[in-house]
Amino acid sequence: MKVLTPEQSMMTCVRCGACRNVCPTLNITGREADGPRGRVLMARSMLTGEIPVNQEIKDQLDRCLLCSACVDACPMDVQIPDIVMLAKEQIAAATEAGTYHQPGVKLNTTHNDIKKTPAPLRSVRDFMFEKVLSDQKNLNQVGNLLWFYQKSGLQSLTRSLGILKFFPEQMRQMERIMPEILPPSKRKPHMEFTPRANRKKEPKGRVAFFQGCIMDVMFRRTNDNSIKLLSKTGFDVVTPKDQGCCGALHHHSGKKDKTIELAKANIKAFEKAGVDYIITNAGGCGAALVEYVDLFRDDPAWLERAKVFSSKIRDISEIVHEKGELPETSGKGERVTYQPSCHLQYVMKVKDAPVKLVKTIPNTEYMELPDKKYCCGSAGIYNILQPDLANKILDQKMEKVKQTDSAVLITSNPGCYLQMKLGLHREGMEAEIETKHVVDYLVESIERAEKQGH
Amino acid sequence: MNETIERAPLDEKVISRLREIFGVERLLTSQTDMMTYSYDASFETQLNPQKPQVAVIALSTHEVSECVKLANEYKVPLYPRGAATGQTGGAVSTKGGIMLDLSRMNRILEIDHQNMQAIIEPGVIQNDLNLALKPYGLQFPPDPGSANMCTIGGMVSNNSSGLRAVKYGVTRHYVLGMEVVLPTGDVIVTGGAKSKALKSVSGYDLAHLMIGSEGTLGIVTRLRLKLLPLPVTRGIVLCSFERLESAGEAVNAVFSSGLQPSAIEIMDFNCIKAVNMMKPELNLPVDNEAVLVFEVDGAKEEVTSQVNRLKKVVEKYATHLKFSDEPNECEKLWQARKLVGAAVGLLKPGGFRVYAGEDICVPISRLPETLREIHNIAEKYGIVCGIYGHVGDGNMHTGPVVNSSNEVEMENVQKMVEEIHQLAIRMEGTTTAEHGVGIVRAKYMDVEHGPAMEVMRAIKRTLDPNNILNPGKMALPN
Ligand SMILES: Cc1cc2nc3c(=O)[nH]c(=O)nc-3n(C[C@H](O)[C@H](O)[C@H](O)COP(=O)(O)OP(=O)(O)OC[C@H]3O[C@@H](n4cnc5c(N)ncnc54)[C@H](O)[C@@H]3O)c2cc1C
Ligand code: SF4
Ligand code: SF4
Repeated sequence: MKVLTPEQSMMTCVRCGACRNVCPTLNITGREADGPRGRVLMARSMLTGEIPVNQEIKDQLDRCLLCSACVDACPMDVQIPDIVMLAKEQIAAATEAGTYHQPGVKLNTTHNDIKKTPAPLRSVRDFMFEKVLSDQKNLNQVGNLLWFYQKSGLQSLTRSLGILKFFPEQMRQMERIMPEILPPSKRKPHMEFTPRANRKKEPKGRVAFFQGCIMDVMFRRTNDNSIKLLSKTGFDVVTPKDQGCCGALHHHSGKKDKTIELAKANIKAFEKAGVDYIITNAGGCGAALVEYVDLFRDDPAWLERAKVFSSKIRDISEIVHEKGELPETSGKGERVTYQPSCHLQYVMKVKDAPVKLVKTIPNTEYMELPDKKYCCGSAGIYNILQPDLANKILDQKMEKVKQTDSAVLITSNPGCYLQMKLGLHREGMEAEIETKHVVDYLVESIERAEKQGH
Repeated sequence: MNETIERAPLDEKVISRLREIFGVERLLTSQTDMMTYSYDASFETQLNPQKPQVAVIALSTHEVSECVKLANEYKVPLYPRGAATGQTGGAVSTKGGIMLDLSRMNRILEIDHQNMQAIIEPGVIQNDLNLALKPYGLQFPPDPGSANMCTIGGMVSNNSSGLRAVKYGVTRHYVLGMEVVLPTGDVIVTGGAKSKALKSVSGYDLAHLMIGSEGTLGIVTRLRLKLLPLPVTRGIVLCSFERLESAGEAVNAVFSSGLQPSAIEIMDFNCIKAVNMMKPELNLPVDNEAVLVFEVDGAKEEVTSQVNRLKKVVEKYATHLKFSDEPNECEKLWQARKLVGAAVGLLKPGGFRVYAGEDICVPISRLPETLREIHNIAEKYGIVCGIYGHVGDGNMHTGPVVNSSNEVEMENVQKMVEEIHQLAIRMEGTTTAEHGVGIVRAKYMDVEHGPAMEVMRAIKRTLDPNNILNPGKMALPN
């Protein structure tokens, strides 16, 4: 659990600047307000009422990627993304209430003209969070529709008809890089229990697999491979049926009640599984699960249960590297590089397990990605809301990827995966460089070795 | 000090000329932006942040030169700024004006490994340069605690140094030449305009006039730095002492035995307590007055033999002793020193560590006496503080911990700092060994320098007749 609440931690910032050199947005513009230290100061001035809620601050804070690189670098444990979120919640509340004016205005050129999100956009967003993301059945239906849309050729039809022109540029690009959705017949619920592949050996542990919501629809193959990888590296795997969305997206958009509801449901579901560890393959989800404890600060009964739950969370690379036994693997004689997931490296603190695993593969050459510390912009709403900054961040990332001259770009999180694909698509390099989740890369290497062995 | 210069207000004309130089994206005028340019890492600017009127982000010498010319023409104050990790308010405006952010001029232009030098722009971060040098087996040695975030331009302007100064010296020792934009906007290169020589005594050494001038005489836009081979490995000896005095004797004994440690760090009893709180597994002995951490570096065999010799010398004085020449183990022992800056904050629940009075330096022989005096002063004002520092050169960092909502404490800590600075001067030392003067130590300049201060003012007037570069600092003409 974090030692300090966001309110407390914003007061402990000593302005040392240790967070400056890891921030992707500051790296692009060099503007202090685009860096963590500036953001803490702005948010704090607003939250303490020193300056009123105003559009300038909202615009500035919206530029933060919430990637947590700064938290990892901060010696004082200042929770920058949480502080930014807190400020954004206050801004949202003030916008709803129409009270942007606060007493004690000190700023002389204050704009009190916060622009509201247009109503239809808001209701679509609310619907997404309330109904779709928190209900696996619903999500599956959306998945089915998406699959139908891709399969039926509607996709190419809309593409060629240019309907997508009405979407902003970013949406159109996003649409093109969406992974192929598996047909409904291949998206049946996972087996509740998958034993270790080699029954002659003692199990390396009994683990539960956290499937995630979007992950299980859009990246079903990676999820299947994750269970396979765990089994092949010696684990008995339980995949609880009544698990649900981690709540990260709800949390990030300030929907605390819903987040708590989802958290409780997951805690219950995994308590029943009776496992040593709970495994995720998406840094974003993993980070949210680790942070469940922070949701229950004021609820002692649930806090204890949350602590047990959170202490069991492990990333799949981490557990395979530390406790598992990787069978024989074989590469294709290609060079690969790795873009870490921010949530994985900065919140879950898993810095190099994926690389260590990849490095063990014979006939695969690993090349470090320069400046891999910087967030890629993680495909999503940020691309749409901050197209300018998002594109610059991505262009720079692709520049570095090119420098490594790799054939495969490995990621460890669906958001990063999509963003990397988007970047490669924009550069017209999709044919030369393949994007792959580290799990898929490992399973393919294992299966290649198995084939070669026969 | 009372010379005042008529200043034109920063009107639309200046702004539009700045827009021509920097474009719309790199000219910042919003109040929110100004708020974020109102501080550096100093306690002073945390209490009294000061906004500039505009900020610009420079990308080239040409832009800097044009900007300085404009400021000079309109007599607008101009404040150069690196990463603003300085602890003196050096990179903060005192009179509105233009904030010139140099952190984006951060390209490494050339690593000339054959000639053991590198050419860089001033915004390069110390650690980034060293990462780039590593594959060549080279290093840029000056190592401030802020190496991960401070710019080398800032280091040069403050003549920064770190705990390895005892063996490797300070930033000044690694500057071979530089390109500087003078307060008139003219651009000069010192240290030989075209030279790549490693040694030169040709002419006045203007680079060395610029080093440590804290942005008051010129703006550094390019640097030619001297590099050294990277030591292969390091060894650590960590030892504790019942009394401060025996720690002092141990240091003397080490020096007279002909050993040359790359760092000698001291931590007082409060620091020991704090580090134990943060990392209980280090388990430093609590009933002792001081811990010393020695570091030696070099080739493997050399390090092993140095560690053994060091051990023999200090054994006589120390109560406990741990040592290693194995990288992982060294890293663990070194944590004791590495964490201390942040750890002192734990000395008082809910408190935070203040960077003020943090940089005094006294003759090594007077260290124990000075440490005791500082604790007496702290006690008088009821302030908890941990003291640590570089014994090898007598530089001590005092870390008072206060509660920001306690007004009495906030006032007392300022009085305490004043007394610590006076103490340093009384002990034949200085108020600042590495962090600089800026705003916070300007008032001691006349006492420390006497008539030499007038020479400094004369130099300033000659180079910067309109007093546009970083005015309000270092007790120079205001
Ligand atoms: C946690 C922490 C630990 C620290 N430890 C040390 C330490 O061990 N040793 C040490 O010496 N310092 C230390 N410092 C102080 C500070 O980091 C150094 O002084 C550093 O060199 C300042 O670099 P900067 O880029 O942040 O400069 P800034 O703070 O931005 O500027 C410093 C001064 O240089 C001027 N300046 C900056 N760039 C230029 C330029 N290109 N041309 C002309 N003038 C310029 C500014 O006007 C200002 O006067 C520490 C600071 C912190 C927060
Ligand atoms: S590293 Fe932490 S304490 Fe330092 S400026 Fe950033 S947020 Fe503040
Ligand atoms: S969360 Fe990421 S983008 Fe936001 S301030 Fe921190 S490092 Fe920068």
